[in-house]
Amino acid sequence: MKSATEIQGKSSTRIVTKWKFMYWRSAILYLLPSIILFSVFLFYPLGKTLYLSFFLTDQQGIANVFVGFENYQYILQAESFHKSIKATILFVLYTVPTGIVISLFLALLANEKVKGAGFFRTIYSSTMGVSVAASAVVWLFIFHPSMGILNQLITSIGGTSIDWLLHPDWALVSVAVTTIWMNIGFSFLILLGGLQNIDEHLYESAKISGASYFYQLRRITIPMLSPTLFFVTTVTLINAFQTFGQVDILTQGGPSESTNLIVYSIYREAFVNYQFGTASAQSIFLFLCILIVTILQFKFGERKVHYQ
Amino acid sequence: MKKLLLLFLTVSLLVFITACSSDAEGEEPNEDTAGEEQQTEESSESDDNNEEEEATDEKVEAVFWHAMSGGGQESIEAIADNFNESQDKYTIIPEFQGSYEEALTKFRSVGGTEDAPAIIQTFEVGTKYMIDSGFIEPVQSFIDEEGYDISQLEENILNYYTVDEQLYSMPFNSSTPVMLYNKDAFEEAGLDPENPPQTFEEIKEAAEKLTVKDGDNTEKYGFSILNYGWFIEELIATQGGLFVNNDNGRTEEATEAVFNGEEGLRVFELIDDMNKAGTYGNFGSNWDDIRAAFQTEDTAMYLDSSAGVASTIENAPFEVGVSYIPYSEEAERNGVIIGGASLWMSNGIDQEKQQAAWEFMKFLQTPESQAKWHIDTGYFAINPAAYEEDIVQERWEEFPQLKVTVDQLQETKPSAATQGALISVFPEARQQVVTAMENVLQGTDPQEALDQAAEETNRVIEQANRANQ
Repeated sequence: MKSATEIQGKSSTRIVTKWKFMYWRSAILYLLPSIILFSVFLFYPLGKTLYLSFFLTDQQGIANVFVGFENYQYILQAESFHKSIKATILFVLYTVPTGIVISLFLALLANEKVKGAGFFRTIYSSTMGVSVAASAVVWLFIFHPSMGILNQLITSIGGTSIDWLLHPDWALVSVAVTTIWMNIGFSFLILLGGLQNIDEHLYESAKISGASYFYQLRRITIPMLSPTLFFVTTVTLINAFQTFGQVDILTQGGPSESTNLIVYSIYREAFVNYQFGTASAQSIFLFLCILIVTILQFKFGERKVHYQ
Repeated sequence: MKKLLLLFLTVSLLVFITACSSDAEGEEPNEDTAGEEQQTEESSESDDNNEEEEATDEKVEAVFWHAMSGGGQESIEAIADNFNESQDKYTIIPEFQGSYEEALTKFRSVGGTEDAPAIIQTFEVGTKYMIDSGFIEPVQSFIDEEGYDISQLEENILNYYTVDEQLYSMPFNSSTPVMLYNKDAFEEAGLDPENPPQTFEEIKEAAEKLTVKDGDNTEKYGFSILNYGWFIEELIATQGGLFVNNDNGRTEEATEAVFNGEEGLRVFELIDDMNKAGTYGNFGSNWDDIRAAFQTEDTAMYLDSSAGVASTIENAPFEVGVSYIPYSEEAERNGVIIGGASLWMSNGIDQEKQQAAWEFMKFLQTPESQAKWHIDTGYFAINPAAYEEDIVQERWEEFPQLKVTVDQLQETKPSAATQGALISVFPEARQQVVTAMENVLQGTDPQEALDQAAEETNRVIEQANRANQ
């Protein structure tokens, strides 16, 4: 690095370029830690996945037969992958809107200034403290075919017991219920934070002009909360696409592949069947899906977001 | 100021990079044991100079990866302790590595290196993969070298693990499927509890009588099978049917799945008919769930592994009967394929460690070790002489049903069908069969479901053959 006195001696244009260069350099230096982190844990694996997706791998997992786009061709016409895509889309539709509506409802409740609100805030966000594996195991017992408390409850009030995890249609619902329950804590906490950031004066003015609760909710709360809602939607959407743990524990992708969500199907291809090629192709496909959905969301969803 | 910042950044970067690389080292398994060995080597060098007697204290340590949790783990640790005390040259360190699949995945990443465990337990369907992997030393080479007599071992079990007339791995925990039934429920339904149904037709009739309905809810189903490929393989084999072509991949590399033939179709039709009649209970693909269903009398008959028989009898609040698995009346009864796992020896590790592994394998085959193993877990004794041991005889007196599992194995006719299939993509083939089974339970035509599974299996076999040329 040259000292400032030296630079002062040069012509002004050179000073500008010099400074530009220095800005660049310091910018890069500031970014370097994240660049290195991302390269090691994201960019390199992404590149390697892309590479593997064009190959067949042998039993050591080494790419040794180049097949071009065959893996992609295969997954796009394979029925089981179609089922995976369908299941994943359904799963996203089941979990994301429901989860956010429930968390928003709970956050609105917990945001009221009543006695014991702190207690409920803790309870509502407590699912954040439970690991995916632990909560999935608890739900496994709730859904248990012969001893599950849910079926006992239903039969005790005279209903017919349901094959929660054993019927293809119900299995996806069961996994979705579990996921919603697990995600509520996180969404709730973020939304509650957002609610508490809304300026009190807005509500005071609204009250003075005699606005009803729902009018306030529609005209003040939701618009002011929209950046937070947007964030929560984006994050839960990506999370829903990447669901793995609960599927692994509750259903292992079954019955009849009805809960074989894309990430689980990738796992099975790669680590049970050792077909790293097709697994990589599926990963790239998932990456593109999430990318497109996120871009669309930013393009159309963000228009409705009101930044203060 | 900027210089300072730069300096700080460079330093923190350096720290970060070194932290990363040490992390990577930390991922290698067995680091601790490797460190210990180095220590012992160093100390033994110095000991050599001082006293020769102390050198004999230095034991060769060999790591043993297994996939037995619960009672099996306790038993393995006790047997390893017995071995370590029985001699002063070798120490076996048993390490639990998760399920068979998980242990195998871990082994893939260290196989062929110095960090590989001396012994790894791998399930029967991993046999072909292990042979092809190039990470293992066939135990046959030790048998030949020493002239070890393996004829004392159970022939039907050796049969499975013998490929091209070489015994690649040492059988260890072997099990077969059996049918368990609720004797009390048999009496209630007016069936003879001492004469359980043996053919598919008889099963259907008995299940009809055993099923108890309360309105729309079925309180008790007649018959159930776990949604697990192994049972389908067994039901096909007991009719003499093959799973894949080329004599189940034994005479030549298998190229095509044939489990969608008539034998497979009979099994699937049985499931389909009973499911439609409402006498077949579906309890999913989890072993514990179907066992719980039997215990809570939600199903009256089901297929289980012989390794689960003892605990089921002990826990059940009713009399439990054990019988052979059913067969189709259109075929003869051929017996069962051996399931379970065997022990493989790594190559690429010290010869001393291989020797330790070999000594331990021999120790495991002694009637005493096998007797303990058999009564602790319900797995078969690899060495039939174990059945003569007092502890086994006592146990059999207490649970006469345990003997049924042994009889079924010993009555098995050796053939390509009962030898079991040999394909490297077995885990995937199993998954396809399970999916087909689940599809049938949802109303898909049995033949269609089987054909679909066979087609998918063919594709992965073909792909594996292409990739591993």
